[in-house]
Amino acid sequence: MIPATFDYVRASSVEDALEALAVPDARLLAGGQSLLPAMKLRIARPSLLVDIGGLGLSGVEERDAALVIGALTTWDELDRAEVLRRPAYRAVSECAARIGDLQVRNLGTIGGSLAHADPAADMPAVLLALAATVRARSTEGEREVPAGELATGPFTTTLGPAELITEVALPIPPPGSGSAYVAVEHPASGFALAGAAALVGEDGSSRVALTGVGATPFVLDGKLDAAEIYGDRFAPEEYRRGLARTVLARAVALATKRAEEDSRWKT
Amino acid sequence: MEDVIGVRRPRVDAPDKVAGVTRYAADGHVHGLLHARLVLSTEAHGLIRAIDTDAALEVPGVVAVLAAADLPTATQGTDRTAEPLAREEVVFAGQPVAIVVAESEAAAEDAAELVFVDYEPLEPVLDVESAMTQGAPLARRVEAGTDSGDLESIHAGADHGQADEAAEELSGNVLDRIHRTRGDAAAALAASDAVASGTFRTPWIYQAYIEPQVATAWLEPSGTLVVSTATQGSFVTRSELARAYGLPLERIRVVAEPLGGAFGGKFALVEPLAVGAALALRRPVRLVLTRTEDFAATNPESAQVTELTVGARKDGTLTAFSGRMIVDRGTNAGWGVEGITSLLVAGPYRWEAFDVTGYGVQTNRFTFGAYRGPGAPTAAFAMESLLDELAAELGIDPLELRLKNALVEGDQGVTGRVPTFGAVEVLEAVSAHPLWARRDSLPEDEGIGVAAGYWPGGNEPAAAVCRIDTDGTMTVVSSAVDMTGVDTGFATIAAAAFGLPPEQVRVVAADTSTGPYAGGSGGSKVTYTVGRAVQRAAEAAREKLLAAASEELEIGPGDLEVVDGVVRAVGAPDRSITVQELAQKTLRFGGRYEPIEGHGGSAQVSQAPSVAAHLAHVRVDRETGEVEVLDYVIAQDVGRALNPALVEGQMRGGVAQAIGWALYEELVHDEDGRLLTGSFLDYAIPTADRLPRIETVMVEVPAPDGPFGAKGIGEAPVVPGPAAIANAVHAATGVRFRELPMTAPRVWAALGGRGEPNSDALML
Repeated sequence: MIPATFDYVRASSVEDALEALAVPDARLLAGGQSLLPAMKLRIARPSLLVDIGGLGLSGVEERDAALVIGALTTWDELDRAEVLRRPAYRAVSECAARIGDLQVRNLGTIGGSLAHADPAADMPAVLLALAATVRARSTEGEREVPAGELATGPFTTTLGPAELITEVALPIPPPGSGSAYVAVEHPASGFALAGAAALVGEDGSSRVALTGVGATPFVLDGKLDAAEIYGDRFAPEEYRRGLARTVLARAVALATKRAEEDSRWKT
Repeated sequence: MEDVIGVRRPRVDAPDKVAGVTRYAADGHVHGLLHARLVLSTEAHGLIRAIDTDAALEVPGVVAVLAAADLPTATQGTDRTAEPLAREEVVFAGQPVAIVVAESEAAAEDAAELVFVDYEPLEPVLDVESAMTQGAPLARRVEAGTDSGDLESIHAGADHGQADEAAEELSGNVLDRIHRTRGDAAAALAASDAVASGTFRTPWIYQAYIEPQVATAWLEPSGTLVVSTATQGSFVTRSELARAYGLPLERIRVVAEPLGGAFGGKFALVEPLAVGAALALRRPVRLVLTRTEDFAATNPESAQVTELTVGARKDGTLTAFSGRMIVDRGTNAGWGVEGITSLLVAGPYRWEAFDVTGYGVQTNRFTFGAYRGPGAPTAAFAMESLLDELAAELGIDPLELRLKNALVEGDQGVTGRVPTFGAVEVLEAVSAHPLWARRDSLPEDEGIGVAAGYWPGGNEPAAAVCRIDTDGTMTVVSSAVDMTGVDTGFATIAAAAFGLPPEQVRVVAADTSTGPYAGGSGGSKVTYTVGRAVQRAAEAAREKLLAAASEELEIGPGDLEVVDGVVRAVGAPDRSITVQELAQKTLRFGGRYEPIEGHGGSAQVSQAPSVAAHLAHVRVDRETGEVEVLDYVIAQDVGRALNPALVEGQMRGGVAQAIGWALYEELVHDEDGRLLTGSFLDYAIPTADRLPRIETVMVEVPAPDGPFGAKGIGEAPVVPGPAAIANAVHAATGVRFRELPMTAPRVWAALGGRGEPNSDALML
C-alpha cells in the first residue's frame, strides 16, 4: 500500500501544468480519489504527479447559454450547488450525491473522473444524457469534445498525455425539462452495476445514457436488447441487461415527473 | 451495587479511541525498527523450486530477504505457527513464502516486488466434496506434521463425538470425522409425519476487522524476546512462539496492545513471522499486513456444506435429525469447526434421536480460522430453514413450532443435561413483539422471518488482581485482551464487588511476564470466567479493606459495609472511614495493615449458553434482486446485563455481521484457487447505510455461576441471523435459498429475472 517512487510538482497555472506534463509518464493529480488508490496498489506508476489542485478550476454557473462546471469542482460542490436544484439539472446533483462517501465527495472532482474514464463511473452517464461538451487545453490550444467522444474504452480517453480538462459545458435545457440518475450499485465498491441517466423534455422526448454495463458509458439510441452488455462473475450479462432495463425505466419515470416540476420552476 | 450493575455507562476505552490517541500495535516507537513485507504465494498448490532474491537485495535500504530456511524454527510441523514461511510446498495462494526486511516500509515494498519465486505447480484441491472421495488428489503432498499446538482449545470446546466402528472410505484430505448419534434417527424420521431436508452451502467469510494483522518483535539485550502485537490472547501467543522457535517461556514476553477488532481471527498468525525475522536478524522487526495481504494470507471462517434432514410429528413435536456437515478447513491441519457445528446444528431444541457426522476436510484455500460463533451461523441456517418448512407442511406457526420444542433447564440436550437456558424466554419475547404480528398484513414483496440459535460459551481457568492506591482508586490487573467491552465489564464487576463507583476503577492490561493468567478473548468466555476472577479478586481486596477498617473503627468486619468508597458501620453511617484514608494508612513506611489488594481465580465448570431469537423484516426488489432489511428485532438471553449499553452494542454488531452473512459476504477464488475478492472493492460488508434500525430486547436469565449472573453474550447474536433473513426472503417471495449470500444477482435469477418466478430456479 505504498506507491512506487514518484516526483511531485504543484502547478501554479494551466500553462505551468501543461509544461510539467511534458515529462514522460507524468500524470495530473486532481482530487486523487481514483489515482492515489491505484498508485498505492502499484497499478498506476506515474513518474511525476502534477498537482493542479491550486488552479481554481471549480464552480458551477450558467454562462453563454450553457451550464459550465469547472473541471476541479468536487462532487460535494455539485451536490450543494444552488443552480443544480432545477429539476432539469437534478440528475447532476443526484448523481454527485451518491458517489463514494463524504470524504471522497469532498476531494473527488468531475474532471478527474472524466479523465480517469472508469467504465462504471456514474457522472459520465449524466453528462451524456445532458449532451455535455468537455473543454480541454493543451499546448496546441483549446478544443471541445462531446462527452460521448471522450472515453474510448475502460480507463482510456482521447485526451493527449499533455492535455488538461478545464471545464464541462451543458446546453441549458428548455423549460419543462427534467433529468434523473438511477443506479444499482455493487455492494462492495459502490460503483454502478448499471446506471441510467435520463433527460426528458416538455414534449416527452427523452435522451438516455447508461453506465456500468459496457466498455464506456453510452447514449442508448436503439433498443437495449441490441446493445452490447458486459458481464462479470458477480453480475452476469443477463442480470446486467435486466438491471439496465430497470434503471432506465426508473430514470425516465423520475425525469418525466421532474419535467412537470420544471415547468413550474422559478429561478 | 444496585447503582453499578445494570447501569448504562460508556466504554472505558472509548474516549481514547474517539480522540485518536489509543496506541495500537502498529503505532509504538521502537528504536532501530525494521519493516517487513511479505512475498505471498501466487499458486494455490505447488512446490517451490527456487526463490531469486538478487534484485530485491539490490534495493537501497533492504536488509535481508528471508525464506523458510533462514528462520530459526524448531519444529517440523506444517501449521502456520510451525511453518510461518512455506518450506517446500505452497498449499494456498496467499501463503507467505518470503519476508523482505528493510529500513523503511517503502523499501520493503519496492523489494518485495522483485523477489521471484519459481513454482512447480500442482493440481489445486478446491472442491471440498470431491476432495473427500477416496483417490482424490491431496491438498498437501508433503506429510503434515502432527504437532498442532493448543489453538483449538481457545474456542468453545467440542468433544469428539462417539468412536466410530464403521469407517467410511475417505481420502487423506479428510483430517477429522466426528460422528454424533443418539437413538435411532432413521427410524424416528421414518415414523415422522413431516420430513424436510436440503443441502445448504455457506462460503468462506472474512472477519473484516478494522485493524489489519500486525506484530512487532525484538530481542532485549538480556535475550528476552518481546512481542508487541494485536492478538486476542497473549499467553497462547507466547506458547505458540515457544513451540515454533524452541524458546523457554520465560524468555518470551508477549504484550497484547489495544485491539482494533478481531472477531476470532487474531491468534498467533503473524507473530511467528515477525519473530522469525527478528530472531534471524537480531533487530526489531515490524510486520503490518496491508488490507490486500490480510484478505489473502490470513484465516477466514470455513466454507461449509450441510446436508440435513429433520422430522416432526403432526402435533409439531420434533423427532430427529440426521445429516452430514462438510467443513472446508483449507490448510488448517490443527483444528476445524466440524466438532462444534455438528453439535450446534441441533439448535436450542429437544430431539428424540439424531445421527450427524462432521467432516474436516483440507483443501488449497486459506487456513481456516475462527469468526464469531465459528460453525454456528451456518448450522442454524440449515436447521432453521428446515424448521420453517416443517411448520409450513404441518400448518403450524413457525414460532409456535420452535416454542413447543425449545429446550428448558434439565432437558437432555445433545451434550447432556441442559443448564439454565433462556430459549423459551427469547422466543416468547419475539412472539410478543408487534413486528411478528404484522407478518400477515405486509405489502407485496415483503416478508418477516424468525430464527433462533445459541452459543454454548466456553471455559478456561483465569485469575485477576485488584489493588487500591493511595488516592482511593482501584486498579484491576488482567491479562484478558479488551475485546469490545471486556475491561468496561471488569470495572463494573470490581466496583460492585468492592464498593467503589466504577469511575474509580481502571483496568490495566498486563503482559505475559507480569500478569495473572487469562486465556484468549474468544468463545464468549471472558466475562464468565475472567470476570468471575475479577469479582473474587475485588472481594479479596475488600476483606483486606474491612480488616483494616475494623481496627481503625473498632467495629467487627461483619458490621461494616462499603458504599461509594466509604467504609461505614451498618446502621450508623457517621462512623466511617474512606477507602482512600485506609489506603494511605497501608501504603507507607511503618504502615500497620497489609496493602488492600486481592487475587482472585476461577475455574468454571458449568456452561452458561446464550440463546437469541431474531425477527427480520425484508423487502425484495424483484426487478433488481436487491434485498433490503427494513426492520430487525433481536431478543437474547444475556444472563445479567452488567452494562446494557455494551450488551446492546454486541447484539447490534452481531446482527450487522449476520446481515453480511445473509446478503453480501463471500470470499471467492478462481478456478486456479486465486482469490478474486481480495479487497473491499470486491468483498462487500454491510455498511451503516445498509443496516436497518435494530431493536434489542435483553432477556435476563441469570447464569448461576456468572459474576452477578452475567454470561458470555458476544457470539450468540450472530448465530440465527442468516437463517432469519433467509426465512424472511422466503416469506416475501416464496423462494427458499439454500446457499449464502443471497446477493442481488442470485435473488434476481432465482425469481426468474424480472419478477416472474422460474420453477427451475426455485430451490424448494
